[in-house]
Amino acid sequence: MNIVETSTGKKFPIEVLPVESTDYKSLVRNRYYFDWNCERYQEVYKLCKAGSDDILGLISLERIPEEWRIHIRLLTVSKENKGKEKKYDGITGILIVFAAKIAVREFGELACVSLKPKSQIAQHYIDKYNMNITGMTLSIEMPEILDLIKQYDHDQ
Amino acid sequence: MTMTSKQNKSIHADAEYGVDSRYHSTRERESEAVALMEARIKKMKGLSGEEIVRARLLQLRLKMEEFLAKSAYDKGNYFSECLKIYIDTIYSKRTSFANDIEITPILLSQIINNHRAPNEEFFKKLMIHSEKMYRNVCEFQQQIWYQVYYQEKLNNTLLTQDIWRPQIEEHVRISEPLEKYNKA
Repeated sequence: MNIVETSTGKKFPIEVLPVESTDYKSLVRNRYYFDWNCERYQEVYKLCKAGSDDILGLISLERIPEEWRIHIRLLTVSKENKGKEKKYDGITGILIVFAAKIAVREFGELACVSLKPKSQIAQHYIDKYNMNITGMTLSIEMPEILDLIKQYDHDQ
Repeated sequence: MTMTSKQNKSIHADAEYGVDSRYHSTRERESEAVALMEARIKKMKGLSGEEIVRARLLQLRLKMEEFLAKSAYDKGNYFSECLKIYIDTIYSKRTSFANDIEITPILLSQIINNHRAPNEEFFKKLMIHSEKMYRNVCEFQQQIWYQVYYQEKLNNTLLTQDIWRPQIEEHVRISEPLEKYNKA
């Protein structure tokens, strides 16, 4: 999977790896918007450019096997990758697809990824990631989940 | 109150900075889970057979990738388990797969039950068959069956060293040690 440098259109391969305990001291609210220390005991992953230690995005997940579901607890991009002036594009999509791949690997055709954004931004996730809305919860499942994975899951 | 298009654009531009979806209570979580599950079950009932096969093929690929990425050794017959899943996902009878790749059902059964090692030709046929099947499902690395097979062999060899090593080691000597190159 690749992120795209917005100024040049150049693609860069990325890695999504588990956050290590030593990473937390650099996960400051000023750059990553939330108190990531609260997630220390959750399943948290970081997105970096391949070969780099600089964390460009983060995701915290909750596995709910009895519902064949992965719930995205918390997700963010680093400050310089937010808004119109963002340096790299595609970080959020890759993190959602990362969760989707875990869900399909674990639950096959029953897989589901859910999240619960504020109502003002929910429409964005519905439009961009083809999510469904149930009450306050957005979710993606079969068959849309496969299309989303296919859209992002390539090396070139 | 309606949003202006400028406000709407700005929200969309910033929407991706993050989401805080943490549930604040078990009650909140449970009530949302019930509604979500009802909606999902309705949707699941509408899935076609083809969509289910596509999901299971992707699941298999992801499981094989997970196996290859694992650093801890795992003893087991992972290759044949994956092969079984692959065939049973696509075919109602394993003999149909054997016919499609022009091998005998007996040979296939022996490979699946670990009574015979797959040969080069079997791997090549499996590789081509998988490429064709996965073409409309997802990306597929053609080397993955080889990698799973040899990774499993390596894992099993390393995990059973205590058993095979003493006997084999008796038949391994180094008659030309590095020390021989030391200056006198």
